Amino acid sequence: MKNKVLMGLAAIVMVAVLSSCGKKPQVEIDATNAAIEAAKTAEAAVYVPAEFAAVQDSMTAIMADVAAQESKLFKKFGPAKLKLDATLALANQVAANAAVKKEEVKKEVETLLTEIKAVIEENTTLMKKAPRGKEGAAVLEQIKTEMVTIEASVVEAQGLYDKGTYMDADNKVKAAKERAVGINTELKEAIAKVKGRK
Amino acid sequence: MKKFWKNVLVFSVLAVTVPLIVLLLIRLTPKPPVGEMEHARQTLSKAVTSKADTYSKKLFNQAKVNYDSAMVNWQRENKKFIYLRDYEKVIMFAELSAKKAGQATENSISSTSNLKIKLKQEIGLLNNLVSEIDALFTTYPLSAEIRNRISKGKMILEEAQIAYEKGQYIQANRKTTDSEYLLTSSYENASANLKNYFKSYTVWKKWADKTINESKKNSDYSIIIDKFSRKFFIYQAGSKKYEFEAELGKNWVGDKRVKGDLATPEGMYKITKKIDRNRTKYYKALLLDYPNEEDKEKFRSEIALGSLPRTAKIGGLIEIHGDGGKGVDWTEGCVALTDKEMDVVFRIAKVGTPVTIVGSMVDLENVMSR
Repeated sequence: MKNKVLMGLAAIVMVAVLSSCGKKPQVEIDATNAAIEAAKTAEAAVYVPAEFAAVQDSMTAIMADVAAQESKLFKKFGPAKLKLDATLALANQVAANAAVKKEEVKKEVETLLTEIKAVIEENTTLMKKAPRGKEGAAVLEQIKTEMVTIEASVVEAQGLYDKGTYMDADNKVKAAKERAVGINTELKEAIAKVKGRK
Repeated sequence: MKKFWKNVLVFSVLAVTVPLIVLLLIRLTPKPPVGEMEHARQTLSKAVTSKADTYSKKLFNQAKVNYDSAMVNWQRENKKFIYLRDYEKVIMFAELSAKKAGQATENSISSTSNLKIKLKQEIGLLNNLVSEIDALFTTYPLSAEIRNRISKGKMILEEAQIAYEKGQYIQANRKTTDSEYLLTSSYENASANLKNYFKSYTVWKKWADKTINESKKNSDYSIIIDKFSRKFFIYQAGSKKYEFEAELGKNWVGDKRVKGDLATPEGMYKITKKIDRNRTKYYKALLLDYPNEEDKEKFRSEIALGSLPRTAKIGGLIEIHGDGGKGVDWTEGCVALTDKEMDVVFRIAKVGTPVTIVGSMVDLENVMSR
């Protein structure tokens, strides 16, 4: 009788041990979530959107894995822990990549801003040499208005750059440069035409 | 010996029953919704790849909320005693999430494709509008505000094109709408102004025809100035003999109404005086009989109607003179030519030579389609 009781207890203990041998990896989950949050703060969604989406998807899959293990009688969180470690490393990498990309865009905007300022300056000099005969002066009046718009756009782009919104600044300064270069070409062609006639 | 066999029997029974009980316990555990959740996750991931979070925001958010609800319910069920768990609600939310995510993906793909087509068309149309504005209004005296709006509209259109090329269709769409508003409203305003200007076209045509016919009849010279195209024509015996570029008053659009309005008058005039180079600051000049009787009558009626103040003066001293070739409308109402062209005009013109100034010799339809 004593033996039977002992064996019954042993079976219950065995079941209890087996069913609770895995503990939810909350520390790893929190650490990975914090790394993803850090990547978000580093504007990974703006600068490396595909990589950031992959990290988020990976975390969603892990959380489903964890919930699936929690649903089982015999839990096993080992693989989830490994995946969490990998995702944490990936999130850190994505944050670093976002910072690199952001720096790249920042540098590009800086270069564009320097270039456009030089083009604007050159255009101002060219305006003085541009032919005024026939319809030239009327066209120059129009160009003057366009140059005012370009300069205002550069100021806006500089403002966006100062605020750290480099992607928006990039689009704006590129558009302004496109127009400034267009005017530059137009003015150079007009001056060359007059020189050719002389 | 008997005890030994008894123990063997007990162990044998236990060896069979314990695994059976464990197996039964496992079999009786409710099945977790792993498959359904995995399907929902994959569908959501596909939706993100197709940018449904941007182009089908509402459906995507619904899918996301349903997925989160499924997870919350799953975790809640997991806290219950294992045999009391019920995953029906989890499955319901997971299926709903997958359905919405699927719809969001389809919607996003179709929206992106439609938006891309729409943007391409709109950007093309706006570029055409810009060309038309440039062709019609480069030399037309539009207000500074309209000029600025056109310039800003062009700049925003450029930004829209850059965003479009980068695949940023939402931004491109917003920019296109802003550009369209600026360019269309400016074009409409400028066109209304132009249409209003061309209202007198039938009268101008009559004047021009009459002037050419008189030149033919008298076998003499006549001058016609087309303000819109800034052309200065000299007819001899009904045929065009010379064509020059003319420069006009700063506010050349519309007839001259009052002294100091900087407008070039419209009407049938005659040269009343030839002024040689040492008696004018504009090289050489030909004085016109502005205001003629028609101008005076019009001026009086404007005063009577109150559209001009009683203190207003009609003005005068409208000339054809030299010192032109500046490429811009700069006079106070006179017609300026280059000195070289002025020499030609001065040579053929005499007191009494007809000078007809019209808004345009070409009708608006032809001007717009040029």
